[in-house]
Amino acid sequence: MTESKVKKRRYAAQNQKSAYLFILPSMTILSVFVFIPLIASFVISLTDMNIFMKDVSFVGVTNFTRLFSDSRVSNATINSLYFTLLEVPLQVGLALFLTVCLAKNSRYCKMLRSIYYLPFVCSMTAIGIVWSMLLDPNMGLVAYWLKQAGFQTVSFLKDPDLAMPTVIVVTAWKGFGYTLTLLAAAVLNIPQSLYEAAQMDGAGSFQKFLHITIPGIWPTISFCIVTTTIGAMQMFDQAYVMTQGGPLNRTETVVQYIYDRGFQTAPYDLGYASAISVYLFVIVAVMTFVLRRFVLKGGEDADA
Amino acid sequence: MRKKWISVLLSAVMCVSVLTGCGQNGAGGQTAPSDAPETMQEQQPADAQADGQDAEKTASGEKITLQFWNVFTGSDGDILREIVDNYNKTNTDNIEIQMDIMPNDQLQQKLPAAIATGTAPDFVLFGVENIAPYVSNDSLEDISDFWDVTGVDKSNILENVLELSHVDGKLYGAPMQYNVSYLYWNKDLFAEAGLDPEKAPATMDELAEYAVKLTDPEKNQYGLALPTSVTYMQFLWANGGDADDPSTNTNLLDSEENVKTLEWLQDLMVNKKVSPASITGPEADTMLQAGQIGMYMSGPWQINGLRAQGINFGIAPCVAGSAGAFSPAGGCSYVIPKGTEESHKLAAYKFMQYWLTDDILKEWSQRNGFPVWSKTLMEDPEIQNDEVLSAISKATEIGRSYNLGYSLASQIDNDVMIPLFEKVMTGAAVPEDALKEASEAMDRVLAQ
Repeated sequence: MTESKVKKRRYAAQNQKSAYLFILPSMTILSVFVFIPLIASFVISLTDMNIFMKDVSFVGVTNFTRLFSDSRVSNATINSLYFTLLEVPLQVGLALFLTVCLAKNSRYCKMLRSIYYLPFVCSMTAIGIVWSMLLDPNMGLVAYWLKQAGFQTVSFLKDPDLAMPTVIVVTAWKGFGYTLTLLAAAVLNIPQSLYEAAQMDGAGSFQKFLHITIPGIWPTISFCIVTTTIGAMQMFDQAYVMTQGGPLNRTETVVQYIYDRGFQTAPYDLGYASAISVYLFVIVAVMTFVLRRFVLKGGEDADA
Repeated sequence: MRKKWISVLLSAVMCVSVLTGCGQNGAGGQTAPSDAPETMQEQQPADAQADGQDAEKTASGEKITLQFWNVFTGSDGDILREIVDNYNKTNTDNIEIQMDIMPNDQLQQKLPAAIATGTAPDFVLFGVENIAPYVSNDSLEDISDFWDVTGVDKSNILENVLELSHVDGKLYGAPMQYNVSYLYWNKDLFAEAGLDPEKAPATMDELAEYAVKLTDPEKNQYGLALPTSVTYMQFLWANGGDADDPSTNTNLLDSEENVKTLEWLQDLMVNKKVSPASITGPEADTMLQAGQIGMYMSGPWQINGLRAQGINFGIAPCVAGSAGAFSPAGGCSYVIPKGTEESHKLAAYKFMQYWLTDDILKEWSQRNGFPVWSKTLMEDPEIQNDEVLSAISKATEIGRSYNLGYSLASQIDNDVMIPLFEKVMTGAAVPEDALKEASEAMDRVLAQ
């Protein structure tokens, strides 16, 4: 009796040992590229340190007090939130709508899904450059078409009010194919019998969508919302390529401002840049936490 | 049993491969950019070689390989490469220069980290505005002994050009080129608009008047391109205003003269719409080369592009206001990062000496349209008869230094001046308010 227990325990311990060995490679990579930099940035945020790394001194929370009186930090935070609040619903909503239209495994639907997926595999930089060329008011194709159609030329990326919406649309255009693929896979997993039963009960297609499709794929939708939100809060490359944060800093996001303080504007204040990244880290952590509770709870409601 | 062995072995192999992978990255330093380890690997054998044979190097003519970074990504970079290649082939000191061209942004990210980790190149060529911040962080070698070591005649170089490479009386760079902003004008567009194609505007009033005449939205044609991502010190100075005084750390923004200038600029942009709205410098360059721009203020690097596109253009000094005409000066210098070993430093001196010979300076000026600043070269009949170069030399006389050698210069530009001009030029704020806001921002920067 006891012998077998000991054997079992030993077996489990051995199993765990090899499990740790299997985790080791990815743990090493994660530590070097995620955990260590994360801790380092917490430490650096408490110091006065520039990129030359000379005369480093400990300054306590000075960088953080400076952060809260810096109008460009609040401006960047508002821009990031603005971007997130519009981009995430647009991308997920568009993907959800198309999922309903394309959730069949016919050749036509598969082809369309692959086509929509294409922008996602391209680099954001390349896409940013292509779109800023297309939208250029002086030599862009879109401006030319608008002119041919008798409209006034609109400078999408140069207008302070239009720049951010334009960046949002381009980002959603690039990303919705990925969300669509995830959602379509989830929809195809819903048992067909549920739909048949609903039909027998006399449910219309909208009711079927609302009461079967949505609850059936809710975990996937919430996954998409959370990951897209985190990605959106860290938005950098599209604005960096298409607008450089302008006009009038209206598209400058938090990550862009971190980059600007740390690597673009002398005295390359790494301490201050790290303080802003800690600030962003806290915002994203809180948002993720709230969102997870909220959307997971929403899922339970929908299930019930 | 056998199976277990295999799994342990496999895991071990995986761990080791991951660890070595990370080890390489670690060696480059966390902040070092991705290709730093590579550079280091290339450099190390060369260094080791030089270390070992340092003593007999001059006697036996051992080869010295110099790493050289610069920011010449344009067509001038090709000409620079030709000159360097030619030097590699012809020099008798057995020096080989390996040149890396990268955009300025990238160089500014890589170089400080490379200097901090001892993997910096042997010498660098960049804009003189960078010298002061690097010196204040003790990252450049003092090369005040350059004239004595190489025997180059210091008095043959114009004083204002030399001044740009000095910080606190010490020399940190060997001058490579010098330039100011000029006014380019498209002679064909002038003729079409009924203006004298041989006469450029001389005053701010004329500039505004011509710009309006040259603007034709129907043809997508603009009188005067004014990109928003730059500063317009020439206009502030022309009316007697200024931004700051670097020698006393004083804020000079809040003045009547500046309000007047900015009102004029806003009227030009917002009401008269003589420039495409919110364009960047490179976009303005493209439009100028496409013949869509009547007038444009820029440095000598436009000349080759305009020639290649067959634009019929003229070059004039920047326009004058009530206080005269000025133009912001700039330039590039060869500098040596801190920590470059003595033998490599001397080899870099040799190349700098080669650059400062009249033959090379003449080739550079003639092929790129950069002004001449060697006194003996200015007497050269070929230079004096060159139409473009003589126009440029005339326009260069009004050069004025803007915060050069001031360690806060880049912060003043990015946090105060560029936002100020952008707000005024897009009409986001009336000049008086924008100036007040900028003045407060300036106080914060100067307080550091």
